[in-house]
Amino acid sequence: MRDLYQRLALSPAADQPTLDSALSRCPNSALRRDAEAALGVESHRARYDELHQTLGDIGRLRAGLGLTHAPHWQIDAANDFSMPADTAPPRVETLGRRIAAAVSFFDRWRSAQGVWLLITVFAMGAGVGLALGLPLLAWLGFL
Amino acid sequence: MSAARFSRFERVLIESRSRVDTAALLLLAWVLCKRPELSPTQRLQRLARAGAQFRHAIGLKQLLEIAGEQDVSALQLAAEVVRDESTPARRLTVLQQAIGLATDDGALSPSNHYVLRFLADLLSFEPTALATLFSELTGHALTPAEDISRSDYWLREDAAFRQAQAERARAEQQAEQQRAREREKAREKAEQANEQARRERERHERASRSTPDPSGAYKSRRALAVLGLSPGATREEIRRAYRRLAQLHHPDRAYAKSEHHVALASQRFQRIKNAYDYLIKAST
Repeated sequence: MRDLYQRLALSPAADQPTLDSALSRCPNSALRRDAEAALGVESHRARYDELHQTLGDIGRLRAGLGLTHAPHWQIDAANDFSMPADTAPPRVETLGRRIAAAVSFFDRWRSAQGVWLLITVFAMGAGVGLALGLPLLAWLGFL
Repeated sequence: MSAARFSRFERVLIESRSRVDTAALLLLAWVLCKRPELSPTQRLQRLARAGAQFRHAIGLKQLLEIAGEQDVSALQLAAEVVRDESTPARRLTVLQQAIGLATDDGALSPSNHYVLRFLADLLSFEPTALATLFSELTGHALTPAEDISRSDYWLREDAAFRQAQAERARAEQQAEQQRAREREKAREKAEQANEQARRERERHERASRSTPDPSGAYKSRRALAVLGLSPGATREEIRRAYRRLAQLHHPDRAYAKSEHHVALASQRFQRIKNAYDYLIKAST
């Protein structure tokens, strides 16, 4: 399974006229014949695109997991769908760090809960007093 | 701390009692999602059946949804968890379940060819080990994936496409033949034109060559001039003129002078005789 889009220098979302013009420009007659068979017919292209998507995902997964030179990843698929190695830290580590951060945030919130409660009650009292006091003053004729 | 929220799979994983099992079930759900012929209910049933092998199998529907979204980061997280945290026995179970889910009552789909091989790499099974396991479980050998990026695959698999291609080839061949015929015709025409031109030229040449050639009237006029007669002379006049001239120019008369004179006289006599013969022949 080869990446025909890459070999024709096309995006996988290319529409039919773009594909046709790329095919007519293609100097490699064998590649042109293959691409006409696999991409020229709508049902064929749907199946090809599905597999293309899967192999793209697998290429990314292998790059992320350091499996780009594993024994089952060979020939055409490995040549066309391998991605550059992923420099991001492992997802498990990232998840662990995020959980730790969430836990410490939760703990801080719980420990500061009393202070926050006091501030909230005071602010609410002030708000209510202001809302009631202003009409009262107006009614008494001070404003 | 990153500001993004926890993804769905991360939440499922955190809530799970067994991370390895949840992660393995996500990978199995991914295998099931690569079988387009199954309905969502069938997928759920099969995943539940496979989940019986695992300690923790809840939230299967959610796992199927996540796998169906082709969420690569979720799959990568699951793969890392399975790779890092599972025992060899668990790895074997995961691969067996994956093969089972990929092939039960159906051939291996093209996508699953690659997915199974990815899982074998992830769980560090050598190609021979995978092939053995596959033939033990399914009863037939693991073939290499068909290459659907090649035209021979479609020519073999799709009868309608094969027919269309054959018709196109035939039409092209016919067009080619037609073109060849037309070329042949054009060539013949050009040849004919050439021939015509050649003949025309030849005729021209012959005509131009034949102008000095004496035609009948011209010849007889010259013959009469030789005999010293004007056109319209009768047979009698011709005969008399000939006799006079023959006597006058006979080579015997020049015999006494010299051989040169004889030769000249004989030429003259020959010319006179030729003219007389022609005129006599023409007048009869």
